[in-house]
Amino acid sequence: MEPQITDSDLSEQIKAATKDSHVRAENTELMLSYQRGRVTLQQYKLLLCSLYKIYEALEEVLDCNASHDAVAPIYFPQELSRLPALRSDLQHFYGRGWREQMQVPDAALAYVQRLQQVGREHPEYLVAHAYTRYLGDLSGGQVLGRITQRSLGLQDGEGLSFFSFPNISSPKLFKQLYRSRMNSITLTEEQRRAVLEEANTAFQLNIQVFDELQECVSCVSETEPAVRQRHTPQTQSTAADVGVCEPLQGSLSLMPRLLRTLLGVCVLLAVGMVYAF
Amino acid sequence: MADTQPTEMMEEDEPFFSNLDLFLFSLIAGLLIYWLIFRKKAEPIPEFKKLETAAPTTRDTSFIDKMKKTGKNIVVFYGSQTGTAEEFSNRLAKDAHRYGMKGMAADPEEYDLSELSRMGEIDNSLAIFCLATYGEGDPTDNAQDFYDWLQEADADFSGLKYTVFALGNKTYEHYNAMGKYVDKRLEELGAQRIFDLGMGDDDGNLEEDFVSWREQFWPAVCEHFGVEATGEESSIRQYELKVHTDLNMNKVYTGELGRLKSFENQKPPFDSKNPFLAPVTVNRKLNKGGERHLMHLELDITGSKIRYESGDHVAVYPINDTAMVNKIGELLAVDLDTVISLNNLDEESNKKHPFPCPTTYRTALTHYLDITNSPRTNVLYELAQYASDPKDQENMRKMASSSAEGKAQYQSWVLDSCRNIVAILEDLPSLRPPIDHLCELLPRLQARYYSISSSSKVHPNSIHICAVVVEYQTKTGRVNKGVATNWLKNKMPTDNGHKATVPMYIRKSQFRLPFKSTNPIIMIGPGTGIAPFIGFIQERGWLKEQGKEVGETVLYFGCRHKNEDFLYQEELAQFEKTGVLTTLNVAFSRDQAEKVYVQHHLKNNKEAVWKLVHTDNAHIYICGDARNMARDVQTAFYEIAEELGGMSRPQAVDYIKKLMTKGRYSQDVWS
Repeated sequence: MEPQITDSDLSEQIKAATKDSHVRAENTELMLSYQRGRVTLQQYKLLLCSLYKIYEALEEVLDCNASHDAVAPIYFPQELSRLPALRSDLQHFYGRGWREQMQVPDAALAYVQRLQQVGREHPEYLVAHAYTRYLGDLSGGQVLGRITQRSLGLQDGEGLSFFSFPNISSPKLFKQLYRSRMNSITLTEEQRRAVLEEANTAFQLNIQVFDELQECVSCVSETEPAVRQRHTPQTQSTAADVGVCEPLQGSLSLMPRLLRTLLGVCVLLAVGMVYAF
Repeated sequence: MADTQPTEMMEEDEPFFSNLDLFLFSLIAGLLIYWLIFRKKAEPIPEFKKLETAAPTTRDTSFIDKMKKTGKNIVVFYGSQTGTAEEFSNRLAKDAHRYGMKGMAADPEEYDLSELSRMGEIDNSLAIFCLATYGEGDPTDNAQDFYDWLQEADADFSGLKYTVFALGNKTYEHYNAMGKYVDKRLEELGAQRIFDLGMGDDDGNLEEDFVSWREQFWPAVCEHFGVEATGEESSIRQYELKVHTDLNMNKVYTGELGRLKSFENQKPPFDSKNPFLAPVTVNRKLNKGGERHLMHLELDITGSKIRYESGDHVAVYPINDTAMVNKIGELLAVDLDTVISLNNLDEESNKKHPFPCPTTYRTALTHYLDITNSPRTNVLYELAQYASDPKDQENMRKMASSSAEGKAQYQSWVLDSCRNIVAILEDLPSLRPPIDHLCELLPRLQARYYSISSSSKVHPNSIHICAVVVEYQTKTGRVNKGVATNWLKNKMPTDNGHKATVPMYIRKSQFRLPFKSTNPIIMIGPGTGIAPFIGFIQERGWLKEQGKEVGETVLYFGCRHKNEDFLYQEELAQFEKTGVLTTLNVAFSRDQAEKVYVQHHLKNNKEAVWKLVHTDNAHIYICGDARNMARDVQTAFYEIAEELGGMSRPQAVDYIKKLMTKGRYSQDVWS
């Protein structure tokens, strides 16, 4: 009698369906450099900014949908939530004004939009996003934490809270529990297919963030000499760098809103004046 | 309109315009200047020295010259990708100082490793290699050149003394391939291995593997080079004693783990550094007969804001037996109530003291230090110097050495005879170490964990514990007692204002009931392994009362004798009666000639078990003894899968492994 080891379990299906995406994500330029210990402070900070936006959106939609049948079984805010840790890490690197100084790549914003859309329209797909991020954080993510600490010479876990899960005593056992919870979600065949597709979308969104971070960093090194001519040498002004490789709306996040409004008013007045004249 | 407007405006504009002009000009100018300044201020990147020196100039690729210049005799090369091997190397290099030698850690990528053949030029030289294996048995990037070179090399390493510690992960096929290769290859090239290859497994506990290896390694090195580890020039004390003569007792620790007075002024949140002192409300004996003492305790957590779930663990901080502590004071002729601090000699270290200081020796030995476990070899080694009888000193050093005879002696005299520090001090009367050095060497007293045997749905303010008191006779005729279980046994609830309390906190586990109450469960928990299942069954009962549909709830329990240690017999009978517990299966191991255990009962019911597991999506839970029971039960499941699932043994193993991955086969086991 042939043994029946077919896997209709969501946890196994999702793993199989995203295998290729997973390989692609690991083999992005950024991740390859990272694994070799070649991560710069600049990259890490940009990564943290992106992660902040992503988890802000993810955890908000999870909270909103906490009692939804397809979310309740995998809802573990105490064990998993990353937002407080990210806040603390961002504050460590940017200081008190971290909210204003954050630089967020477009790809992260696209990711945020998708999360918000799924939260509104298809909360049953949220498991795909939660799986992709959280289970990743508990697996390879742990190794990335160690690499980051070594490469950047960070002491005492400062700026590395993102990688630490103080309320999970065993990542391995927690992942097993999480999978059993995933498998208790009831889905129609169509919903199941959509969830698997959404998981690949989640991977793709992550890959796009990595690629954009990679681009930003290489354009820093290219434009640095030009930047140095425009500004005083001591500040490697990343504001200018980011402004160079991002469309206008990105660089606007640098300035506080008030200043932006004043400048706008100023321009309007100037235009009005010219018109009047 | 067009005519009048400009005219109007021109009439008004003359003075208005110039004001506006000035105003706008200064506003724009001001804003522009501000903006420029603001942009300049953004992102001053702090200089990270580490990044600057990331690519060192290879002015000096001779490590031999460097070692000669800086007076080092030990070089520790690291093959590191994530920094772990590098960290280990740094620690080993530092260690060398403690043994009267000088070490330096080195990146193999920066030096010419062919110079290993020149190691003989340095006296008492030694090359240590900490090598991680990457991916499919590959060297790390920084060791790639070394690896390639070794394969082609035709060098003579006869002057080279070496040892290798390998870092890897057992789940990979080529476990520790790099470390193993280098260990073998160096020998082939004529080098002399002075200590066995160390194997670190990141899937298990890499740090522990390293520390254990290192503990044996250094004594072997000392023996090999004829170097005395003890001596004025190589003081191996990590801490310095300070005796306090005139200190306000409010500043002295009396057993707290974190904040001073945290036992007197209790403030949530409660955790390992700030435990909650829970009053004991119930403490009763569970067994009706037999020599052992099994107990059920209830801890009151009202007002603590502590939450838990069935399956979680409760951690308790026990204290040592007063008589034992007093004995140490007697043997070492010390006033245990002296107020002291032990301060770290390494001022850069984060660990200022080995335990909360200032405190008294009595408090340290009672609350903070482990005095009941057999001391490790490094403790024996460091204490040996205080044995005035040369024969005692020799024996202690021998037991700490890596020689086969020494290892055997340690095994038999310390481990098999279950000698703890008190026994050793008694049996070696010439051994009288200073008490502060002893306090530095003894490990910290650890919290003990128990599976909670209540459900928070039924008992939100009470945590139940089910435990067996540990007590046994040793080969030396002494009676060893378990620290926590004996301490718990004596915690009687009293009602005269002095409630017995237990410092505790919750450690969340991943041992959980299925999300859906309809999901069947098979619980296997002989002896005190039944603890979490009482909680599970209580919770299923509660769900039933709430009107939820509850799936099959099956328990396999085992004990020695039906009329002696059938734990929770009445409670379980009640649960059966109300239909909460759908199947209760008990194995009484010693009630008949042949031993009957839970796994036998499992096999007897294989059809029912298989149907639940394979068809009904049942979750399996195992709790109790790790060494034998858990393994035997797992084998029983393999056999059932083979017989009823038509699988081969490898297929059955794979099947159960899959269940584990998917969280349907959970274990809460201890050894």
